[in-house]
Amino acid sequence: MNTATPAEAAPDTADSGTGQLVTLVVPAVAAMARVARLTASSVASLGDMTVDDIDDIKIAVSELMTLFIQHDDPSEITLRFDAGELAFSIDATMAVSGADLEGPEALLARAVLDAVCDVYELDSLDGRIAARVVKKRSDQSTSSRG
Amino acid sequence: MDEMNDMHEVGRNESLAVSIDQRGTVIAVGDIDLAGGPLLEKAILQQEESQPIIIDLAGVEFIDSSGLRSLLSASRRAQGRDTSVTLRNPSSGVLRLLSITGTTTQFVIEEAAS
Repeated sequence: MNTATPAEAAPDTADSGTGQLVTLVVPAVAAMARVARLTASSVASLGDMTVDDIDDIKIAVSELMTLFIQHDDPSEITLRFDAGELAFSIDATMAVSGADLEGPEALLARAVLDAVCDVYELDSLDGRIAARVVKKRSDQSTSSRG
Repeated sequence: MDEMNDMHEVGRNESLAVSIDQRGTVIAVGDIDLAGGPLLEKAILQQEESQPIIIDLAGVEFIDSSGLRSLLSASRRAQGRDTSVTLRNPSSGVLRLLSITGTTTQFVIEEAAS
């Protein structure tokens, strides 16, 4: 299981920021999934992530967008990409009412997140959904996967 | 004959372009994601008389779970008609997503001859 509490997930990236921090705010519409992927892959490239890692990051961002964009909701999604020395992290938030993070569609997206990320967590609270995803560099994750 | 001239474009958007060739093969080019998935599904629905449904994915560089749902829906409908969905020339990324989600067996995979 790759879910974790914020306290477990945060140290890897919080201590290793390299200044490659980009915040993207997009309308919560399907067309923005591609924009989010392209931005994430560009930031990851700046952080010298491997091609395989970047592929996983693109999938992770796309799955987050899939989870967030479930309704015709005139909201915005805020994505923060952080390419640290040890890992790439994504923090995403969106104001939404009644997000379904447990339905069949969400479960498929979560299964993919579980496979491509080292850590992910999803929360729905007080009219907001939030997600945090961490993808460790390949050399980091291979030594820590159990 | 130039087969490209016999292609019928079903539609295109910021993620995906989908057409159908003279043999009824659905050809997707781009990304099958939240935006591209519905477009692909529209093309597949136009070809549901075909047995089996063949979807050429040689031009698909990216797919996520929302795109996969369109393919799985087609597969379920095809199985209901005692036929199948063939995915032709899937990229390593497509194959990986099928593997991750345990859905490879829902399709006939036809890889490019090397």
